[in-house]
Amino acid sequence: MSRTPLERIRNIGITAHIDAGKTTTTERILYYTGVSYKIGEVHEGTTTTDYMEQERERGITITSAAVTCEWKNHRINIIDTPGHIDFNIEVNRSLRVLDGAVFIIEGVAGVQPQSETNWRLADRYNVPRIIFINKLDRVGADFFRACNSLREKLDIVPLPLQLPIGIEDSFRGVVDLVEMKGIVWEGGELGAKYHDIEIPEELKEQAKEYRQNLLDTALSVDDAAMEEYFEKGDVSVATLKRCIKAGTLSGAFRPVLCGSAFKNKGVQPLLDAVVDYLPSPVDVPGIKVAAAEGEDEASERRRIKADPNAPFVGLAFKIINDKYGTLTFVRVYAGTLHSGDTVLNTTKGHKERIGRMFQMHADKRAEIKEVSAGDIAAFVGLKDTATGDTLASPEDPVVLERMAFPVPVIDISVEPKTKEAIEKMSIGLQKLAAEDPSLRLRTDQETGQIILSGMGELHLEIIIDRLKREYGVEANIGAPQVAYRETITRTHTETYTHKKQTGGAGQFAEVKITFEPLERNGGVVFENLVVGGAVPKEYIPAVEKGIRSQAETGVLAGFPTVDFKASLIDGKYHDVDSSALAFEIAAKACFREGMKKAGPIILEPIMDVEITVPQDHVGDVVGDLNRRRGMIQSQESAGSTVIVRAHVPLKEMFGYISDLRSMTKGRASFTMQFHHYDPVPRNIADEILAKSA
Amino acid sequence: MQPSRLHWKRGRTAEQAGGTCTVEWIGCDEGGKPIARVVRIMGPLYADWRRYLAVALDREARIIELRPPAPEGAEWLAYVGNRVVGRAAWPLQAVRRVEAALAMM
Ligand SMILES: Nc1nc2c(ncn2[C@@H]2O[C@H](COP(=O)(O)OP(=O)(O)OP(=O)(O)O)[C@@H](O)[C@H]2O)c(=O)[nH]1
Ligand SMILES: [Mg+2]
Repeated sequence: MSRTPLERIRNIGITAHIDAGKTTTTERILYYTGVSYKIGEVHEGTTTTDYMEQERERGITITSAAVTCEWKNHRINIIDTPGHIDFNIEVNRSLRVLDGAVFIIEGVAGVQPQSETNWRLADRYNVPRIIFINKLDRVGADFFRACNSLREKLDIVPLPLQLPIGIEDSFRGVVDLVEMKGIVWEGGELGAKYHDIEIPEELKEQAKEYRQNLLDTALSVDDAAMEEYFEKGDVSVATLKRCIKAGTLSGAFRPVLCGSAFKNKGVQPLLDAVVDYLPSPVDVPGIKVAAAEGEDEASERRRIKADPNAPFVGLAFKIINDKYGTLTFVRVYAGTLHSGDTVLNTTKGHKERIGRMFQMHADKRAEIKEVSAGDIAAFVGLKDTATGDTLASPEDPVVLERMAFPVPVIDISVEPKTKEAIEKMSIGLQKLAAEDPSLRLRTDQETGQIILSGMGELHLEIIIDRLKREYGVEANIGAPQVAYRETITRTHTETYTHKKQTGGAGQFAEVKITFEPLERNGGVVFENLVVGGAVPKEYIPAVEKGIRSQAETGVLAGFPTVDFKASLIDGKYHDVDSSALAFEIAAKACFREGMKKAGPIILEPIMDVEITVPQDHVGDVVGDLNRRRGMIQSQESAGSTVIVRAHVPLKEMFGYISDLRSMTKGRASFTMQFHHYDPVPRNIADEILAKSA
Repeated sequence: MQPSRLHWKRGRTAEQAGGTCTVEWIGCDEGGKPIARVVRIMGPLYADWRRYLAVALDREARIIELRPPAPEGAEWLAYVGNRVVGRAAWPLQAVRRVEAALAMM
């Protein structure tokens, strides 16, 4: 597979807010690079990367899809990701393994909430980016306003490399500021043909100004380029491109291109920019190994360089179960691997034998015999490897940094329509949950019901639909519930003695545990402070296990308890009667007793809501948000519409879409995503407690 | 733009996350005499138990404090002699400020 030298490989993602045109752009890329012989359309359900039935029916991307193409002697591996926040895990895991990204921004709306979220994700993984302002053919499109929204909302230096020629209906091409020429797409051929023109007279002045801005900004990253400029009053195209690439990699600025994917304009220069400015696997600093226990997350650690001759290192980032079995997608960072080889899963500490290996093209696969550094491939035959696990050669068994997964905020209960299907359903759900780390499965300890937690109503709807289509299980589901959490507000120390003397061997364990509140997102932290063997070492893991499993069912209303630290400070044991089980039971009971005295409260998810509404309905929408306990964050006008941003408890947002439609006669739209957890107000807490009692 | 009327050469450098970078460019006249500088303002910076919002280095590379601090997006100071003739976001812009100021003199 890796006949292409590393310098000529690009592993990139396409990411954006929902509906910005990622799939449409990807489809053009496949056509212009000769991979497909015709252009599919999202609204016709005929694109390559939206291959799932549900994607084609709904015209949205749900799962990320990988495709490969060749452009100007480079191999570009592209992952098209979904924009809907319910499927954010797909963006997350893709950005984690890619070397660069194309960020698509809508020409009318500019930066939207999910563009912002995905931008921050890319920041977290340090992914170099170029920006494509799409849909310039649409009424209300404005390249410069979109650029400003980049600067303001993302706090970056957007660096236009192009200017649009014409706009809306008359949009026909771009000014290339690097080479100072016009490029226009005229006539048919679905945009495959384009040609250079002189910069149109009316744009010359503006082009000059933006070219100067390009030089000022880009050359600042390269002293030799500055000197070239001082000498000649300009720099060569090669020098300018070198500077743009350097700044793109360091993030000093972010190149901006533009076009209209749907109208087949601007895509080929975007591909040029991918080749010219986004990094190859050897241009990036290399993936970091995980922090050792107790080591600071931010510490400087070893990085794995892309080298096909080094010991093998790869990261499993996606799992798909289909009729052929389990496919594990792996990004190879170093080394070379052949089918039949054995590697270590260093995250879990066991061996895995690689069966067959495939290069994926959306849902199609081509078998390959070898993968090496820089490749993305799918493996068959791995027994127990989950998303985020590292696979490595036993010669150098490194563990890579894990991925962070998004927080599921909605619960539903599921049960099969027929009793017989229970087994099939739970196998199906387990497989779906193994594919999707943003889906959680638990059994309510009290009611015995299976509870699915997911990112949103759409996410869970798709899961139930897949359960039916792929596993043949029809399930009844309960109404979506808010995924509440419990936590504590004060520190409390509790001692609990578990003692049982019935006939034969007894049970004895005593634990003294301090429970203290942590900041939001603190999770569950366990610490052992016992010195001198008051609790023997071998029982400590049992105490931790007891705490963690009991935390799944909180003391107030049975919701998972989070954001607290449990420190084992003392205890007692008995030579004969103590056991791991006894300590686990003691820890569980200690949790139940202790948490009640530590000021337990219920937390609810607060959503970041953005509503785009025509001017004349703003009053109604804002009034309604107030009734929903919303806190208005901002109101901005963009032409004749207003964008209202608010923080609103998720509980109040169920069914919002239909209320919003009737309030605005269908002229408004909204998006929301999880923002943070907050304590629920008293009256709501009482309601929840009454329900759970 | 015309080729520069001054001969610009690299001045002081600083160690930054990405490596060494030039934080000063010196503009010399025909005879090689330095007559202008553009300087990157740095900060905030902690030294001698104090926090400086904005600093530059003087000719002996000593820290000199600047007041007021640089407005955001204007981290480069353009000097002709010892007189500040402009501020800019990028060194090339600052160089243009210097050249524009010289053309007026
Ligand atoms: N007018 C216009 N419409 C476009 C353009 N690009 C995409 N669209 C349309 O916008 C809609 C959404 O496009 P997609 O390509 O599915 O967007 P996406 O970003 O992949 O969406 P998700 O994957 O669901 O987040 C489709 O109806 C496209 O035809 C464009 O340049 N101009
Ligand atoms: Mg899509």
